[in-house]
Amino acid sequence: MAISERNSAPALAGSASSAFVTPSNAYGAFKRPVSSTGWRSWVFTVDHKKLGIMYGVVAMTFFIVGGVEALLIRLQLAAPNNKVLSAGAYNQMFTMHATTMVFLFVMPMAAAFANYLVPLQIGARDVAFPRLNAFGFWCFLFGGIFLNTSWFLGGAADTGWFAYAPNTSVAFSPSHGVDFWALGLQITGIASLTGAINLIVTVLNMRAPGMSLMKMPIFTWMILVVQFLLLFAIPVITVALFLLSFQRNFGAAFFSVEKGADPLLWQHLFWIFGHPEVYILVLPAFGIVSEVLPVFSKKPLFGYKFVVFSGAAIGFLGWGVWAHHMFASGLGPVSVAVFSVATMAIALPTGVKIVNWTMTLWGGKLSFTTAMLFATGLIIEFTIGGLSGVTHAVSPSDTQQTDTYYIVAHFHYVLFGGAVFGLFAGFYYWWPKIFARMLNERLGKWNFWLMVLGMNLTFGPMHILGLQGQPRRMQVWTNFRAGEGFFNLAFWNRVASVGSFILAIGVLFFLINVLYTTRKGVVAPLDPWDARSLEWMTASPPKEHNFDAIPTVHELDEFFHRKYEEDEATGMIHQVATYEDIMNDEATRADTHIHMPSPSYWPIILAVGLPIVAYGIIFNRLLAVFGAVVILLAMFGWSMEPSVADESDYDPPSDGGTTKELATLG
Amino acid sequence: MPLHHGNMTTVHHVQNQSGDSMTSKTTQHRRWALPAAAFAVVAILSGCAKDAPQDTWQPAGENARKIDNLQRIPFGIAGIVFIIVASVVGFCVFRFRDRGQAIPKQSHGKPALEIMLTVLPALILIGIGIPTVSTLFQLAKTSDTQCVVNVTGQQWWWEYDYPVQDGCGGIKAPIVTSGQLVFPAGQHVLLRISSRDVIHSYWIPKLNGKRDAVPGRVQTLRLEADHPGIYAGQCTEFCGLSHAYMRMEAVALDSAGFAAWVENQLAPYSAPKSGTKAGEGEALFITNCTRCHQVNGILDSAGKPVIARPDKYVYSGVVPNLTNLMTRTTFAGAAFDLMTQSCKAKLWSTPADQFTAAYLQGVSPECLDTVQLREWLRNPPAKKPMYADPTQLTSTGGKYRGMPNLGLTEDQIDKLVAYLTERK
Repeated sequence: MAISERNSAPALAGSASSAFVTPSNAYGAFKRPVSSTGWRSWVFTVDHKKLGIMYGVVAMTFFIVGGVEALLIRLQLAAPNNKVLSAGAYNQMFTMHATTMVFLFVMPMAAAFANYLVPLQIGARDVAFPRLNAFGFWCFLFGGIFLNTSWFLGGAADTGWFAYAPNTSVAFSPSHGVDFWALGLQITGIASLTGAINLIVTVLNMRAPGMSLMKMPIFTWMILVVQFLLLFAIPVITVALFLLSFQRNFGAAFFSVEKGADPLLWQHLFWIFGHPEVYILVLPAFGIVSEVLPVFSKKPLFGYKFVVFSGAAIGFLGWGVWAHHMFASGLGPVSVAVFSVATMAIALPTGVKIVNWTMTLWGGKLSFTTAMLFATGLIIEFTIGGLSGVTHAVSPSDTQQTDTYYIVAHFHYVLFGGAVFGLFAGFYYWWPKIFARMLNERLGKWNFWLMVLGMNLTFGPMHILGLQGQPRRMQVWTNFRAGEGFFNLAFWNRVASVGSFILAIGVLFFLINVLYTTRKGVVAPLDPWDARSLEWMTASPPKEHNFDAIPTVHELDEFFHRKYEEDEATGMIHQVATYEDIMNDEATRADTHIHMPSPSYWPIILAVGLPIVAYGIIFNRLLAVFGAVVILLAMFGWSMEPSVADESDYDPPSDGGTTKELATLG
Repeated sequence: MPLHHGNMTTVHHVQNQSGDSMTSKTTQHRRWALPAAAFAVVAILSGCAKDAPQDTWQPAGENARKIDNLQRIPFGIAGIVFIIVASVVGFCVFRFRDRGQAIPKQSHGKPALEIMLTVLPALILIGIGIPTVSTLFQLAKTSDTQCVVNVTGQQWWWEYDYPVQDGCGGIKAPIVTSGQLVFPAGQHVLLRISSRDVIHSYWIPKLNGKRDAVPGRVQTLRLEADHPGIYAGQCTEFCGLSHAYMRMEAVALDSAGFAAWVENQLAPYSAPKSGTKAGEGEALFITNCTRCHQVNGILDSAGKPVIARPDKYVYSGVVPNLTNLMTRTTFAGAAFDLMTQSCKAKLWSTPADQFTAAYLQGVSPECLDTVQLREWLRNPPAKKPMYADPTQLTSTGGKYRGMPNLGLTEDQIDKLVAYLTERK
């Protein structure tokens, strides 16, 4: 086993190990596919790493789509009474910008990292339910495509991503956009829900020997918290979306005021989902920076336990603050007071994280790679977003600020400065692990600084715009209400529009970097950052089975502690082993008989049935029946499929060792 | 805001393990870091518009002032906390970057410090929370209301109706108007807010925060204006296609002026002289407009009162009352002006002591600007996006809202404008 050998295969060209599965004859037609190269090896894969990459590629594509939508919005708002977009087009644009960024970029990009990294970080060979994992990805992809086909089939949803009833009723939103929106999110919701179950089971049951929960990498911890949030939040939006679909398509009256409905029902349902959703978006990024900061500070995460428990506390408190989105709805002063105070309380665990990141830097040995720059940038930008959040936890102030650009500024500092910066830190940090290439640091720095400049020019002025009275979701603003003086609202609108293009150029540098390094990138060493956690203790990219030998864990930051020890006399940290030593060590314990799940046809077939049903509900009920038949057949095939292809087991060429069996249920 | 980047640019250490040859231009970055930071400070300090009509930091009434006084505390604290965090991070970035120092001790944290840094913000938040809750209940107070106005939102305009009451200085018969909320300055005015279709939100930033107009509910919001004047607002709950054009203006008059306004609103109908353009306009108005638009007191050729009865295809069943159109300076949801821009600017900047008189003049002949009104009459959906074409609304069962294109000729428009400009 040349385990430390560099893998110089092109980044996306398939798995590191060669074909190792042979056909099964078990059930005739219900064979499992066997390709381990070519497009089939991706389409039918159940490998968490391939699925992670696919999640990432698709999410990045939707990031570009959502970004173009944002640029069109900023073009329209660059001048008073502008005519770049009509009112109808503008309303669709901001609805789909938010929907795309939340459901089709940040959530699935976090899923990409979680899918790829969680099994590696906990020393497992795959997730608990690999076929379910594949099914989740295809649901996300088909749901996202379905949602975006609305642009070409009569117009996208035009009610805002929050879709307040009764404005979503057919009378007020006559196109099919809202139908596409409700059904599309229903489909992507399946991806989130199955993913949540899968990752929870994986993390709780499949950790390497010795890895107690409190020795688990912080990223995996934050992902675990997020999966519990998803597990409880997605069913709520599912119910809400079903009510909406029945309202629009089957004559139900859940939101018909004239029949006695109370439209605030939707607001409560939406925000009971919607507020935990904010933490679903941002906690994975917190996990990422909590990995990146220690590595580039050469120090453990300051207050690991506090970060874990504050993450869990955010997870709990996140359920008790939803009505702060409704301070102007007329809930009455008692409810508003309760939610106001609860919202302030959530600032505490969030503040704990900022303190711990800062203290991680303190006294460290900091090297400012691009990943580290994004992580440090996150501390600052997210702090701005967090503090502006406290200013509208003060509910009387919020009645001035809600639905103005001040809120737009706030959540973009949280979601762009927080979530997106975290994801970019993750790209630069884990790229060499996933693609065995280093992203170029010089392009990375352009990427970072342009994004910092762009985001502050775009979202910074929005604080002023909002506090001086510019509401959100307005297709036009007028000079009359922009005020006087050079720095009037017209000026800041223009600055924000210019900033958005700088931001876009920053993102473009990332894409250029990816293209450049895929062609000409430097092959990455196995441990380029002197990292601390298990995912770096194997090949890059990892083999299909992740680890030749499942490592035994003794410490938090196991990999670091195998490389370094503290000299008891002097207290100095010195290196005792190189990563080559450690990996050679591990190679001697390599398992001889590794059992991996086989690919499967059924996840993609089952997932493709869902948008067929959805198109059917909108356009032709017969089509829906056909889709349902596809789903039923796929479920049948899924259940009749042999759990593995015959002789699918992988035997590395070494002597002795134990048999490892994993994930036989697929 | 981008204050901290001045600091961050000074650290440009590059890890060279990637194999890329990176030349660090640290000194070059330092040279522009300071001016950049200075520029950022100047830009932010001078960064606010003067006299933005919807500025939330310029309260002109009691409740808005309570909110303003309250919000200055958390803004101040947030600013201080940000400076502290940014300074500490900046210090770390500068002080602890890798200069070849030894690998630091692998410390897992200091629980005592953590607890202190949790308790301290908790105390600060309690300090913010107490005045928040107290202000909240003060703002909910309605027991000292002196004047009541019903405010009803619909796509995409607001209707104001004044019930008969002893409040507001006494109103003897109901008044229905739209476009501008007129109320007595110095009085506690209670708005009873509802909606006829989707959720809207009523917001006059200088007078109070916002309150949603929810169909099926009546919610209250209290406004007070210290002085006579005109205050801008905007519907702030996204309410569909033309949300951006759903504006409002609130006009505070002194008590004598408000009484005069009430008297004028309730004055009998003054028919145009027959034979004039306006007289022909009245006939056209009855044929084309009164199906939906009410003008109180207008009589048809048989001498019977004409009552507007919008048919069932008009979504909310109600359209603006035009009895005293020219007493307000805007139309179509306060989206367009009836006044020239210079007259409008003059009215908005009239000092408080002269404002009531200036406003009560209405749209005077020299200020009248019929350009927008004519464009509107020519083709309303082209001027303001609306679902006003029933033929394209099969999915709503033909229900439409907003004024459809009536296909009026230029001559008809002339006459209608002549008639409407007499509605004072």
